[in-house]
Amino acid sequence: MIVELIAVGLVVSACLAIYLDEAVYSIASLASMLVLMAVLYALNGAVFVAVFQLAVGAGTLAVLFLAGEMLSEKPEKEKPLKKIFLVALLAVVLSLPSIFFSVAVMPANIFSGLSFADALWNLRVIDVVLQGLVIMTVALGIAIVLHERKEGES
Amino acid sequence: MDYIILSVVLLAVGIYGLLAKRHLVKVLISIEIIAVAASMNFVLFASSANRALGEAFLVLAFSTDACVTAIVLALLVIATKKYGTCDIRKLAEMERSADEEPASVEAEA
Repeated sequence: MIVELIAVGLVVSACLAIYLDEAVYSIASLASMLVLMAVLYALNGAVFVAVFQLAVGAGTLAVLFLAGEMLSEKPEKEKPLKKIFLVALLAVVLSLPSIFFSVAVMPANIFSGLSFADALWNLRVIDVVLQGLVIMTVALGIAIVLHERKEGES
Repeated sequence: MDYIILSVVLLAVGIYGLLAKRHLVKVLISIEIIAVAASMNFVLFASSANRALGEAFLVLAFSTDACVTAIVLALLVIATKKYGTCDIRKLAEMERSADEEPASVEAEA
């Protein structure tokens, strides 16, 4: 029952994040979606991933809040409450198929006895290193682009 | 409870936002929703079959997702400072008119 409620909450908050005009409300809705997703992961036994999701989500949302508040203009007129409820109702209807229908899937039978640490540090160690390089490159690239932009302005 | 259908629904919501919304922050939120929908499959399949490889993939996917967010936010800052708007259609129009202006000046000369 809890999982079903979380699924409904996920779809409703995703729809509201897209629908609401004001950036702050929209980002708050996205925050609730990420928290619900982390709870869903934890309920399914993936506690590491749930914690990681919360940590990454917290960072992303903090930056998004700042960007949304600083850079977006206020909408001319607010959306009526009735329409927001209608969208939420539509989202509840959209989430119903995932509760009442099922798709049969045959899981592949590979790497069944692996622990999380083994999978990450032994099997995918090159991926982890490359991922670190990608993050460093992206951070450097963004710093260079913003720095050039600043020089161009002055 | 079927996570594949839930993932498809979230993906559809994200794609709708990507196509219909014009504000860059909304585009970023749509990308986040699509990323969450895609990564949900990894972790829920992996945990249902008691396998850790899917969870390890997801941790890697999160960092890629954070990179995408950083890039879009940098674009957002640059676009707002240069053009004063976050509307992607207005930005495209401005870029188009900026491309057309030198051509018309050359034609007049």
